[in-house]
Amino acid sequence: MVVSYALLVAWALVVLFPLYWLATTSLKTPLDVNSGPFYIPFRDFKPTLESWRYIFVDLADDTFRPYLNTVVVGLTSTAITLLLGSMAAYGLVRMKYRVRIGAIASFVVALAGAVAVVAAGGPWQLALLGGFAFFLLLLQTVARRFKRALGNDDIAFWMISQRMLPPVAVVIPIYVFFQQLALLDTWAALIIAYVASHLPIVVWLMRDYFQSVPLELEESAAIDGASRYRIFRSIVLPLAVPGLVATFLFVLVFAWNEYLIALFLTSANAQTLPLTVAAQNATRGPQWWYMSVLILIMIGPVIAMAIALERFIARGLLVGAVKG
Amino acid sequence: MSGEASARQVPVAASRRSPLVTRLDRSAGAVFILPAVLVILAFSIFPLLASLYVSMTRLSFSEGGIRLTYVGLGNYAKLLVGIDRTHFLGVTVPLTPLTAAVLVVIYAGFAFLLVRYLRSPVRTVSGFVGRLVTAIIAGALVWLVVDTVMTSGRPGTIVVTLIYVGVDVSAQYILALGLALLVVQRLPGRRFFRVVFLLPMMITPVGVAYLFRMLTDTSKGPLYPLWAHFGLTDVSWVTNPWGARLAVMIGDVWQWTPFIFIVLLASIESLPIELNEAAVVDGANRWQMFWAITFPQILPATSTVVLIRLIEAFKIVDLPNVLTNGGPGTATESLTLHAYTIWRALDIGGSAAVAYMLLIVVTFVGISYVNLFRRRVTAMA
Amino acid sequence: MSRYLARALVMAVGVGLLAACNASNSTSTGNFSGTTIRVVTFTGPQIAEPLQRRAPDFEKATGAKVQVITVPFSDLYQKILTDFSTKTNSYDAMVFDPQWMGDYVPPGYLEDLTNRVQNDSTLQWSDIAAFFRDFSATFKGHVYTIPLDGDFQMVYYRKDLLQKDGLQPPATWDDYISIAKHFQGKDLNGDGKNDYGSCWAMKRSAQSYWMYISVAAAYLQSQGTKQGAFFNTDNMQPLMNNAGAAAALDVYKQLSKLGPPDQLNNDVGDSRGLFVTGRCALSLDWGDIGTLAIDPAQSKVQDKVGAVILPGSKKVVDRATGQLVDCTATICPNAINGVNHAPFAAFGGWSGAINKGAPSKVKDAAFAFLSYMSAPAQSGVDVTIGKTGFNPYRTSHFTNLATWTSAGMSEAAAKDYLGAIQASLQSPNMVLDLRIPQTAFYQQTALDTALAQFLAGELSVNQTMAQITTQWNSKTDEIGRQAQLDAYKASLSVTK
Repeated sequence: MVVSYALLVAWALVVLFPLYWLATTSLKTPLDVNSGPFYIPFRDFKPTLESWRYIFVDLADDTFRPYLNTVVVGLTSTAITLLLGSMAAYGLVRMKYRVRIGAIASFVVALAGAVAVVAAGGPWQLALLGGFAFFLLLLQTVARRFKRALGNDDIAFWMISQRMLPPVAVVIPIYVFFQQLALLDTWAALIIAYVASHLPIVVWLMRDYFQSVPLELEESAAIDGASRYRIFRSIVLPLAVPGLVATFLFVLVFAWNEYLIALFLTSANAQTLPLTVAAQNATRGPQWWYMSVLILIMIGPVIAMAIALERFIARGLLVGAVKG
Repeated sequence: MSGEASARQVPVAASRRSPLVTRLDRSAGAVFILPAVLVILAFSIFPLLASLYVSMTRLSFSEGGIRLTYVGLGNYAKLLVGIDRTHFLGVTVPLTPLTAAVLVVIYAGFAFLLVRYLRSPVRTVSGFVGRLVTAIIAGALVWLVVDTVMTSGRPGTIVVTLIYVGVDVSAQYILALGLALLVVQRLPGRRFFRVVFLLPMMITPVGVAYLFRMLTDTSKGPLYPLWAHFGLTDVSWVTNPWGARLAVMIGDVWQWTPFIFIVLLASIESLPIELNEAAVVDGANRWQMFWAITFPQILPATSTVVLIRLIEAFKIVDLPNVLTNGGPGTATESLTLHAYTIWRALDIGGSAAVAYMLLIVVTFVGISYVNLFRRRVTAMA
Repeated sequence: MSRYLARALVMAVGVGLLAACNASNSTSTGNFSGTTIRVVTFTGPQIAEPLQRRAPDFEKATGAKVQVITVPFSDLYQKILTDFSTKTNSYDAMVFDPQWMGDYVPPGYLEDLTNRVQNDSTLQWSDIAAFFRDFSATFKGHVYTIPLDGDFQMVYYRKDLLQKDGLQPPATWDDYISIAKHFQGKDLNGDGKNDYGSCWAMKRSAQSYWMYISVAAAYLQSQGTKQGAFFNTDNMQPLMNNAGAAAALDVYKQLSKLGPPDQLNNDVGDSRGLFVTGRCALSLDWGDIGTLAIDPAQSKVQDKVGAVILPGSKKVVDRATGQLVDCTATICPNAINGVNHAPFAAFGGWSGAINKGAPSKVKDAAFAFLSYMSAPAQSGVDVTIGKTGFNPYRTSHFTNLATWTSAGMSEAAAKDYLGAIQASLQSPNMVLDLRIPQTAFYQQTALDTALAQFLAGELSVNQTMAQITTQWNSKTDEIGRQAQLDAYKASLSVTK
């Protein structure tokens, strides 16, 4: 017991000390930072609120606007991702999907055709419609000949494989994508981009949680006449709350802290906080004092949310649910 | 790869509902999954294809603007056999007796596993071929790692990335598992610990990288008294290749342990306690309870979170970028940093080629992991 | 005539006169009300702060609204280029690194300012120092940028320490090394910790490649700016593989050992921090140390800092043989006391440019704003404030000591600092930074990586020079040797 406690305290110190360092750095003058290290305010160095003042007063608009953007984009994209992702996860766990190889092949061929049209100079709208029509045509005719199909696990693997390519390779195509849609520098662009990027994570994490919901509960509800949606909404989701909360926190953190896509999709209006943190490294070298302030105010809301939601990741919600 | 869903179906009640509801219910399968699939599909196709095409071109400026000249596999050739070979693969040297011995042992292990599979009752042709291909590719990567790390050669970015992933994910898992087990006990203040342990993950990765840059600074960082005590003030651990790599790995472990921690915690917390109670009655000690009861039940969650962490770990970029910009020399440069650095210098074709090499490696690791480990784990549960 | 008609005639004549006035002297006082200028630069306070600070005054004077958009420094280049090349045009003007002209001008992204700058009375083009006017702001003989900042590297030294030990500021790199050796390991600021002889920014992907060129230039260029220091202007062969480059690499390696233990991981923020907190005897930097040193919130060495022109060499490379030869009157016509100095205008100095794709009225307004920022009245004050990031670049900046002393510099320090800058600016042998297409590859990918590997001991001197040369040649051949040669000569305004 004492050993457990000691270990826990040790790791807590490992976690908290760097944050303490951030806090003290935000109270130091540049001279103190460069002459360092100083540990305790008032004893080792004279603390000053100059950096805080600069961030909140001098840069007021340039701090509050990214803050607002981060909050809106983070919460919205996380909510949407959780909704779509848990639905997909439930489908992958309780329903049997079969995607015929033929359908996939038709899709690829139609896509190749559309790409060829665009490469030859045609308008992309035409290519899109034409490709879609061609796809349907192939689907009804040639694709029926092939019987083999991909199943749930393959769909899930395809989803997670979308996360394998590093963002730097796709950031310019994504930029062009949103530029064609005239959505650059808007909340919508960031929200859509984040939803699409984080769906695979939600799907994979929620799959395990839904799997652990006892099937008997759902079966008995179905026998009573409940529809799929009802079962999902009233039985499965409440029982998977610990998983939902944990996943919510993850996806929020991912969206809150994302840098490269936010850098490219935003310009004057929709900038988010990670950009302001990275921007503190300019031609003078990193400005540690401002950066510390920004990092601290960035994690504030997320910690608050974690504290509020932490109790849902608790034991006991499933215990006793299945009698006999 | 045709998998079969390990799910049983929930029967649809037929009689007591309106036709509309029944029809809705029948299409429920599509309704549940299509939104997510369509969003991912719509958003991923264009970037994937575009960057694949870009990886086969070279960028230049002309009178009208940007021009992309098609060069086929030229960018890939540069990485594997051309002027970027030592940067990407590393400097390889002839095998020494020690490294040859290590390789022989590892290859023998692969051979043993293959033979065991051949002798098992569930063998199939496709299964064997898949395992053989896996063994060959894994063998090549192992050779590359051993030949550049254990000799006087120099590891390239692909080897450095593999080292990061292997060490980081293992360390994160073990640490997170330990912490989760500790926190699950009825200790006073456990809620405080549970929140505190989440903190590192919540800082934006760029911020964590700068934070660690502050911490590892030997002249003005907070660990200065420690160095002074050991008389190490004239040594800088970030100008030594392994020291710098260690700094990056420590930063990565600190940052991402909470991710695994919270998933395992949620998983352990939702386990029914009846089994544990029965085991206590039977006289099992904590260690046995863990291995026989808890661990097998959290394996599905384990396998998921480890897969996610593996995929994310391959993309490590902020820590090596901010801590040392890939230095000293190229010692800490990961594949993504390699791609990012040359992308900033406008070689977007070369950068896309590096990214696709990374994709190939990660796909290989992902598929092997899913086939060899996760399938078995979810079938057991 | 009816009163109505008379009034209309008067108005018409008045408008006509006004239009004629505006057309003839195109000053920055045209009326731009209703126009918004979107200026992009990197996140400040350097550079962005003076733009934001002066925007309201400009708006009051001309009616044009200035919106300053900031982007993290390391990604500014990519962001602007992506915007232009996809014709998104979210920026009307930018304050950027003139080296990027090599990539931005050929595709036609930048507005040609040659005619505008000649006639603008606010801008006072002839007041700008010749180097920035004739080289830094031009490409292929046309002017594309308005200088807002003068960037080149100088050596800073602790006047108090050198005087106490009877040492002169270094004139050659050998001098520099011996001074650094003299102070390495001594306690220079009385805090009991060992301090350092020389603190440079040798970190990879930071400023290291500029530091190296500052050393190498003295061995490579002696005949004036047009000779160039990167390539041979006859055949585009890199100048990185000869006895001079080898000597420079040797100096660089020695200096890497005469500083803090993690000097290989220090960028310019670290080296400046070390110098102004009194831990280094010498440093190499742009003009920032001068203004940082007088700020009590940042510096412990107020009034102890001296500046001197970049040390040179008594031997330079004979490009035909690749060997070092002694300086003579013909070989080193710009030598001072027998030493060839080649002050390096690293980076070029932040300059304003205008997006060719912006609407015509906005372009006029943007030009007015940039010329307002550069005008002697405004820039004369801004260059004395360290926070602005603007360093002196106009003749008028040097003549008025009052602005400097009122900013906190002692008169002696101001004379010293400005004297060193002037000596560099007036040198006919100033080195222009590279600005050919894909400069970023040559410098940041090839040169910088090779230097990092060299310092880390992964490559020897010969291997380093060979690797740089191979990669440079391969990129030159990829783009087209003749095209790159033409671009290089155009950047140096070499007309033969």
